[in-house]
Amino acid sequence: MPLAEMHASMANPSFMNGVPELLILRTLSTGEMYGYELVQAIRARTNQAIKVGEGVVYPALHALESDGMLRSRRKLVNGRTRVYYAVTRKGEKHLAGLVRHWQHITDAIGLAIGGTAHAATAL
Amino acid sequence: MPQPRFERLSERLLKSGIAPRHVRRYVRELGDHFDDLVREETAGGAARELAETRALYRLGNDDDLAEAMLSRPELRSLAARFPWAVFGLGPIALLALGFAAALAAEIGIIELATAYGSAIGLKPGPDAARWFTRVLLVWNTFAVYFAPLAFAALLYLVGSRQRMRPAWIVTGVALVCILGGFQNLIFYDTGCRGCGHLLVQSAFIPPFPHFAEGVARAAMNLAIAGGFWWLSVRKRASAAMALSHTAQT
Repeated sequence: MPLAEMHASMANPSFMNGVPELLILRTLSTGEMYGYELVQAIRARTNQAIKVGEGVVYPALHALESDGMLRSRRKLVNGRTRVYYAVTRKGEKHLAGLVRHWQHITDAIGLAIGGTAHAATAL
Repeated sequence: MPQPRFERLSERLLKSGIAPRHVRRYVRELGDHFDDLVREETAGGAARELAETRALYRLGNDDDLAEAMLSRPELRSLAARFPWAVFGLGPIALLALGFAAALAAEIGIIELATAYGSAIGLKPGPDAARWFTRVLLVWNTFAVYFAPLAFAALLYLVGSRQRMRPAWIVTGVALVCILGGFQNLIFYDTGCRGCGHLLVQSAFIPPFPHFAEGVARAAMNLAIAGGFWWLSVRKRASAAMALSHTAQT
């Protein structure tokens, strides 16, 4: 589980497969960011429900870049060189797949617990 | 930035096979992130020491930071994944490619000189032959004597940057020094048209007329590479001693 330290009840790695990638790609799809900026954006987007060990976001970024999902560039900002990451076309396609997959899972869980309007309609 | 902390992490990652370029970037990014967190905490009113403690906590502990990287096999270097290929087959491939490139370039030079020699005032004869032989002697000396040593330096650099086990580095360096010593490129020209000779020799080819020369050159390569290795080990040891002395004082 490279990105997030979830609540104990959500710590099963099989439940977390693809979550770091999904969060990173989704957040970066709004624009290029450097690591610290990205982590703060993920915290804000998830209402801090996902507690991030902030340093561990970088291996996920490096791996996504190696896979061609992200591209990086160095940029000088306020006298400091930052590595900015942005989503590639391949990354956008992968993100769309991940989003579909996760919507399918959340729908299924919603059905199982019977607690959502969507699930009720479906049932 | 708490440099020793990231140095330890860096060493651990390198020894575990993560590619040096990923380790360097990771450590730099962690340092920048740490600075940002400290800035954020101090802006929130925390004292510097407390801000640093909180920043380190938020960044993650060494084990988590290392594990996050180590769980990504795609970030491992080629040398760490396939050391037998890099340090076993690599020397053979490097020498073959280097030799082929040098030979192709030499043939190109000869063809060019033959075709356009008169345009630059080169007329067939003993003087031109002597001049041309000298030029190609310099070229061949680089290809035959310096290229194996350059390849040995490259393998040493790759291995030491990746903190490979010395046995792998020694294997690669020794192979390139020994095999490189047994190959030769020779050009000579007596001056008449069509009298230039380009010889490609390998001391491994029976009936081994150049074997003794090959052994001598391999020994010379090994001695030079060993000398540089010894100097580099000494330099690193004295740097480590100076660092520990600075830390004590």
